[in-house]
Amino acid sequence: MIEPSLALYGELFEQVEQHLDELLAATGVRYCLLVDRKGFVLSHKEALWAPRPPALDSIATLVASNAAATGALANMLGESTFSEQIHQGEQGVLYVESVGSNALLTMIFDSSVPIGRVKVYAKKTIAAVSGLLQTLQDAPPVAFDQNFSVSANALLDDLLG
Amino acid sequence: MSTINFAGREINCKIVYYGPGMSGKTTNLKHVFSRVPDHLRGEMVSLATEDERTLFFDFLPLDLGSVQGFKTRFHLYTVPGQVFYNASRKLILRGVDGIVFVADSAPNRLRANAESMRNLRENLLEHGLDIRTIPMVLQVNKRDIEGALPTAMIRAVIDPKSELNLIEAVAHQGQGVFETLKAVSKMVLERLSQPSQAQ
Repeated sequence: MIEPSLALYGELFEQVEQHLDELLAATGVRYCLLVDRKGFVLSHKEALWAPRPPALDSIATLVASNAAATGALANMLGESTFSEQIHQGEQGVLYVESVGSNALLTMIFDSSVPIGRVKVYAKKTIAAVSGLLQTLQDAPPVAFDQNFSVSANALLDDLLG
Repeated sequence: MSTINFAGREINCKIVYYGPGMSGKTTNLKHVFSRVPDHLRGEMVSLATEDERTLFFDFLPLDLGSVQGFKTRFHLYTVPGQVFYNASRKLILRGVDGIVFVADSAPNRLRANAESMRNLRENLLEHGLDIRTIPMVLQVNKRDIEGALPTAMIRAVIDPKSELNLIEAVAHQGQGVFETLKAVSKMVLERLSQPSQAQ
């Protein structure tokens, strides 16, 4: 296994979502995503006033790939990691910070939002969420029965002929 | 392994198309993108150079539908095939659930095929993965070109023990593309039904 999978569920998932909600409210950002290092969206929250977000799958993939490339650069420069990335445009900002070794907190917001405030609240959220993700280590193993692959195969036949 | 989000009822699997430069990895994805109904696929992201050679990766999300209440999704990636992009290839293998090795049938590409397979093996090992433990399909592409090498010869350098499911393809015509994707997808999903492999 390259790295552990993340299986979010139940109360744990709700707690993560609550932290992201609080982060949105405190900072005024548009979108807030928790993305795993493989590029999958674990949780996504958007402000009520925000327009429909762009393709989240693509954003998550590019964010995770960018973080991996940045990490490789850090290693080549003798750093263990570069834990945060900020991409600043004319209109908006993309801010990404590591949540432990398994996930990335991604926030997208207007240039008018003070970045210092975002960073302060993001760090609080990251402290809380990384603690929650740590508990995943003790989660029971995930298992699907044989019917799962039978059903999946039927869908594959429909989709791919 | 696959990322499972119980609360969101989602299963995500990562499939990587690997192989030497110009063997047809991006062409596979482009064909899938062009033929799958809009509502089942997301945006195709291509990070390519000006001459359309893959620089970092191509990416295509594909929805299978709901399996036992779980929205099941495949994320398809290609790697850059050119030798000097190895750092990118290594990064893209992170978290891989299944691999399609796209071999080139051109007579002068036998060595490139062999080197790419060796590179795949080495890159997986650096992530602590044994190539024999990952669902993998061998697609022998460009079967339509003049002087195409016999598939047996290509297999002999890539898969000498004949362990891989081999599918012949002409990706630019769509031939063998869905068959390949289906074969690797089935292998990945079957592993989810094996309790010891599910996490």
